[in-house]
This record gives sequence, C-alpha cells and structure tokens, in this order.
Amino acid sequence: MAEFSSATTSRSWYHYLLLTACVLFGAVSVGFVGSIIQKSLPTWLHHSTTLIGGGGWQSPSGPFGGLAMIVGTLETSLIALVIAVVIGLGTAISIVFFIPRRLRNIVATFVELLAAVPSIVYGLWGFLVLAPFMYSTIDPWLNSWPFAREIWGDPSQQYGPSLFLAAIVLGVMILPTFVAISREVISVVPDDLIEASLSLGATRWQVIRKVVLPTARIGLFGATFLALARATGETVAVALIAGGVAKVQWHMLNPGTSIASWIATEFGEAQGNEVSALMALGVLLMLLSFSLSLVSRWLVSRQRKLLARV
Amino acid sequence: MNDLTELDEPIEIAQTMRDEIRRVSNATRARRLMVSRVMTTLCAVTLAVTAVPLALLLYQLIKRGAPELTWTFFTKVPETPSLIAPNATGGLSNAILGSIALNVYASILAIPIGVLVGVYLAESMNKFAATLRVIAQTMAGAPSILMGLFAFSFLLQDLHIGFSAIAGSFALAVLMLPVIIIATEIAVLNVPNTLREAGLALGAKPHKVSMRVVIPSALTGIVTGCILAISRAIGETAPVLLVIGGGYLNTWKPLSPVSALPLSIYENAKSEWPSQRAQVWGAALLLVIFVFILSLTARIWASRKQKVSN
Repeated sequence: MAEFSSATTSRSWYHYLLLTACVLFGAVSVGFVGSIIQKSLPTWLHHSTTLIGGGGWQSPSGPFGGLAMIVGTLETSLIALVIAVVIGLGTAISIVFFIPRRLRNIVATFVELLAAVPSIVYGLWGFLVLAPFMYSTIDPWLNSWPFAREIWGDPSQQYGPSLFLAAIVLGVMILPTFVAISREVISVVPDDLIEASLSLGATRWQVIRKVVLPTARIGLFGATFLALARATGETVAVALIAGGVAKVQWHMLNPGTSIASWIATEFGEAQGNEVSALMALGVLLMLLSFSLSLVSRWLVSRQRKLLARV
Repeated sequence: MNDLTELDEPIEIAQTMRDEIRRVSNATRARRLMVSRVMTTLCAVTLAVTAVPLALLLYQLIKRGAPELTWTFFTKVPETPSLIAPNATGGLSNAILGSIALNVYASILAIPIGVLVGVYLAESMNKFAATLRVIAQTMAGAPSILMGLFAFSFLLQDLHIGFSAIAGSFALAVLMLPVIIIATEIAVLNVPNTLREAGLALGAKPHKVSMRVVIPSALTGIVTGCILAISRAIGETAPVLLVIGGGYLNTWKPLSPVSALPLSIYENAKSEWPSQRAQVWGAALLLVIFVFILSLTARIWASRKQKVSN
C-alpha cells in the first residue's frame, strides 16, 4: 500500500481535508476520555476508597460506594457470557453443518437481524413478560431446591427482577451477536481441511472438534470478547430487570444492579458530589471496556503469530 | 517406527501402516460414532434453545405491538391517563419525530468526519493512522452510556447548552463515528489495487485517484456502513437518556428538549397504567421495524455490490 499512500504524500487541499477530519476525531476521543475523568476527579481525590468499597449508595449526601455495582456487573455479564457461548457455539455449528443448504442463508440473515434488535426491546420483554413469569412460576421452583437459601437468597426479598433474570436476558441478548460472528468464522474454514479429515475416517464430531474449532479459534475469541463487551456495557435492559438495589449481592434471585444501569437510573436526580461519583463509576466502566479490548487485541495477535509459525 | 523404516519393501510399510490404522479405526469406531451422535444431537438441542426465546420475543412483540400502531399513535402527543380516562394515552408522535431528528443531526455530524477519517486510515501507513485505528476500534466497543456521560459533561456542564436534541445527537454521533470509520476503511481497502494503478498510470494526481476512482468504487461499502451505524444509533437509549430532556411537544428544533422512541419505551414500561405499558409494545415494534428495514437495506446494498463486482 505504501506506494499508493496518495492522499497523504501529495500536499493538496484534499490531504488537509482528510487530516482535519482525523484531528477532529482525535480531539473527540481525547475529549471523551478526558472530560469524564476530569468530572470524576473530586471523587477520585477525596473518596476513592469509599467508591470502590461496599458502603452502599446514599443519595444525595453520600457515601457513594460502588462495590455493589462492580460485583453486579461482573456477575451478570459473566453468567450471560457462559450462557451465550455454550448455547451459541452449538447453534453456530448446527447452522453451518446440520441445517439444509437452502435454509442456511435465511437462518443466517435472521440471526443477523436479531443481533440488530435494540437492547431496550430485550429489556422490555424481560421486564413485562419474563419478570412476572419468573416470580409466579420459576422462582418458587428454584426455591424448592436443596440449599436454595444459600444459592438464590431469601424468598421474601424476591419480587421478579433479579441479577439472575438480568443475566438470562443479557445472555439471550448477546446470543444473536455471538452466533452471527461465530457462524461466519466457522463457515469460512476451508472445505479441503474438513474433507481431508473426513476421508481419514474421522467422525463428524471429530472433524468439528479437531479441525473446525481450532482453525476458527481467532474469530471465536473475537466473538466472545465482543459479546462480553456488549454485556458489561448494557444499560437500560439491566436497569429495567436487575431490580436497582445497591447492595453487594451473592444470592442470584435477589435484586441488584450494575455500573452502567446505576448511572442511568441515578443520574436524573443527582447533584454535585453524586454526579462526580457517577462519573467515577463511568471511569471504572471505561477502564473495564478498554482493558477488555486490549486483552482481546493481544490474544488475537498472539494467536495470529502462533498460526504463522505453524 | 524405526524397524518399520528399515524394511526393504516400501509397499510392505504402507501395507502395515494401513492395517494398523484400520485396526485402530475399527476398534474405536463404535465409541467415536456414539460420541459424535451425542454431540451433534446436543448441538441441535442448542439450536432449539436459541430459537425458542427469540421466537417468543418476536411473537409477543408483534402480538402485543401491532394493535397499538393506530392513527392516534402516530399523530397525537402523549397524555397522562387518569382515573376517569384510564385508556387516554394519546400517541407518541413526539418520540417518533424526536428519534428522526436526533438521528438526522447525528448523521450530519458523524458521516462526513467518519468517512474522511476512514479514507485516511485506508490510504496511510504512518504512526498517526495506526494510533487512530486503535482508538476507533477501542471506541467501537465502549459502552454507550459513556457517550451520554461525555455529552453531559462537555455540552451541558462545560458549554451550558441545556437538555436538547443536539446534545443527544452529539452523543449518538460519537457512537456512530467508530462504526463508520471502520466500515469505510474496510471498503476502501477492498478496492482492487489495479484500479489505483490504472488511474495513476493515466497520469492522474494521487488525490484525484483517491477522490474520483477509489471513493466511488468503495461507495456501496461506505453507504452500507453508514446505514448500519444509523440502525445501531436509532435503538440506543443510554446515550440520549441523560441529555435530551424528554419533552411532550412535537418539535425537531436542535436546541429544544425532545423525546425519542427508546426513551419513551424505557420511561413508560415502568408506568402504573396498564394502557401505557401496553402502548410501549407499539413503540418497541415500530423501533424493531425501523431497525430491520435499515439492516435489510444495508444487506441488499452489499449483495448488489458483490453482484456488480463479480
């Protein structure tokens, strides 16, 4: 490409136009990170230990403790990721290998459309349909399990919305995203490889397990991280169905909250110190999202190098 | 293996090895086939597990949403139900108009900058471009609530603009920028080098080649990326939640507070009036229809391009 780096070597008005756009974009991204950090500085300077502590969230005067939101974010997004990856991988494999060729494109298009459905719709469905159903039918059944109090929590605190429900809805929400990407990376595995191992007498599952999945693994990593990023940053769906209680919650059927949804629900009435504390939560969310993207970039480049060596 | 290679007859080696492979293969066939059957069945089961909740979601969305999409829904502003008239919800014309206005302004802000930056990234190989590329990829995965925080801290707190459509559009534009940049870069990189070479060989200046040859050939890809960015922005609640104010009036003025479809879904889902909760399904269905139309248009554009280039 170097010899064609046309726009950048010729000093024309076109070159300056492109450069101006780039500088603008750079400024926006610096402003994006900078202004949120700047607004959160009072909290970081004076109350940083409170913010990452479990002291609860007392608006409007404080203290503003963020541990409940951090834990809630991790719990909901990790459970959602496990649901989405286990079910999604099987689904993607079935779409590519077991569905008749004619239906395949239709199903693939459909999955991609579902991946574009706005998260508020999933939240609405979870809030108006699933939450009442959980409360009337699923919760009593889960509570009849042995050790139910230790796993699911005190039934008197349960009223439908819960961290567990939020995790399930998040899982359903990121499922189409994960399936759409992993279907694509699985379907570009070369046919030669598959036919070669079939001809050596491998069974269908052996081909998938030993040939298809290892070949597609870079793309599958990418899909996993994208799904995780979507789950950790999800705001309004979780705000509707997690219950919105700022308490560190290990019992999954009790209401809890997440960083993003807490910012959304509390920001409207927040003043002064609380705005700054919410901005500080935003900085935590930003750190989480940026480190996820860093780790995924590192993993992908490492895998590329390993593949190149082979 | 060593004594095998010392045999004189190569045919005999092949014979022995083939027999060995046959023996192992036959001995393990029953087990391998069973594992394969079990696992492929499990994959089919996960396909069903994926399909059921998503099909349910779509079914309920259409069943509950379609009856709500009346003439009043599109033409009247919202009313608050009362005990005398519990079904007087009015319509959501303000939210529809607001959503359209927000996305038009956001597109005007984001598309020119995004396309120019994308072209620059595709045509340059310097450090600056590499840095911008990493920034764009990182911002593409950033949680959307952060765009809302940025718009709030920069436009409302620093520039004192107030709750307005333009603040929401700014947040949406920041959300759309990385999507447009990445799509444009890929589209421009996909333009065959022979086209560039032909342009340069005819004596055209590099920036003319970029403007008259490269960008027109990449146009379908660029348009597809822009449509996908809009379809993502139109369904986002979190970025606009903090900054657009939410008004009951039919207005599209940049500096006045507006409402938006996702926002009114989020607000009215929690309403105590069953009629308002029912109306929300209409808004959700309309939003999903918008998104589906946009995504399908993008797909048709993209496939048309493939046909042309083939």
